[in-house]
Amino acid sequence: MAVSRRIQDTPELNLIPIMNLVTILIPFLIMAAQFVQLAVIDSTLPAIGPPQAPEETPDKPPLKLSLAITGNGITILGADAVLYPAGAPPLAEGEARSPTIPCGGGRCRRATDYNWMDLTRELSKIKDMYPDEQNVILVPDGDIEYEVLVRTMDASRDDKLTGGSRDLFPFVVIAGGAIQ
Amino acid sequence: MALKKARRMRLDAGLNITSMMDMMTIILVFLLKSYGTQDISVAPSEDLQLPVSTTQAPPQIAVNLIVTKSRIIVDGVHVLTLIKEEDKQHPGQERLAVPKDEKRGQAILPLLEVLEVKADSAKNDGERLAASGTDQHAFKGRLLIQCDKKLPFSVLREVMYTAGQAQFSEFKFVVYKQE
Repeated sequence: MAVSRRIQDTPELNLIPIMNLVTILIPFLIMAAQFVQLAVIDSTLPAIGPPQAPEETPDKPPLKLSLAITGNGITILGADAVLYPAGAPPLAEGEARSPTIPCGGGRCRRATDYNWMDLTRELSKIKDMYPDEQNVILVPDGDIEYEVLVRTMDASRDDKLTGGSRDLFPFVVIAGGAIQ
Repeated sequence: MALKKARRMRLDAGLNITSMMDMMTIILVFLLKSYGTQDISVAPSEDLQLPVSTTQAPPQIAVNLIVTKSRIIVDGVHVLTLIKEEDKQHPGQERLAVPKDEKRGQAILPLLEVLEVKADSAKNDGERLAASGTDQHAFKGRLLIQCDKKLPFSVLREVMYTAGQAQFSEFKFVVYKQE
């Protein structure tokens, strides 16, 4: 009997001032909340200026890695001696060289039609040969969507296929592409 | 009898706000977690859907150039309306383009004019601040570019060329960060 009276007499905590505080805080926090995170991809324009004479003859020919992005796929370009150490495969007369990473159905309409995993894999092999190289030049066609460009930069930035995160070619230069 | 009634009324009057406090606390924690201060803001719309990327670099303050499916905007000011013209490579299809009378070669004239003004004022501000001892505000030719993900590269190329003519050479493409 005495116990139940004591429980009944315990004063209840007055939560109303805390409720007031929380109610004021919530609108402020809603205003400052960010539900999407933004990031940026760095890129530079190709430098225009007088050609500079190389200071010394390098042991290896320069890579000058370029990715030509077209509606048929992505072609990895560089000095032939680099990409084809045993010589470029011969082509029949009048035959155009097919893209290194061709599209699944022959023609890519959306960013998801390109084979990004294969591109990263191929670039990873080139990185193994040229561990010091950091630059890649993108040469997209005029009708290539901006999203494809971003996905190409993602695929050539780091190698996530092997589990780790090895930098491949993080410095991107976007070239003008072919003028039609 | 009257005493009993009064006691019942007093008991009914107390609102139990404990469950509401629980809810508020959860909302508060969620909002504190998503609290963030970023230097730039994006107003997504039907015409401006940024692509998603795996990059981690944070955005910085710079001149903000937005290219949507219908127009070009610099620092919130409308500069140019884009048009749809027939795609020569794929007959029957349309693609976005800059009106021919607004271009000289590859340079987009109204955009070039606006960007040159921005570059000049940024350079003046940089020089004034450099004179007062702070060198970190020097003009670096930095340009934040927000583009719709469906924008054809032909338009982007002209925008980049024009920016290059106005001495902006360091581009930062704004994207949504992949979680």
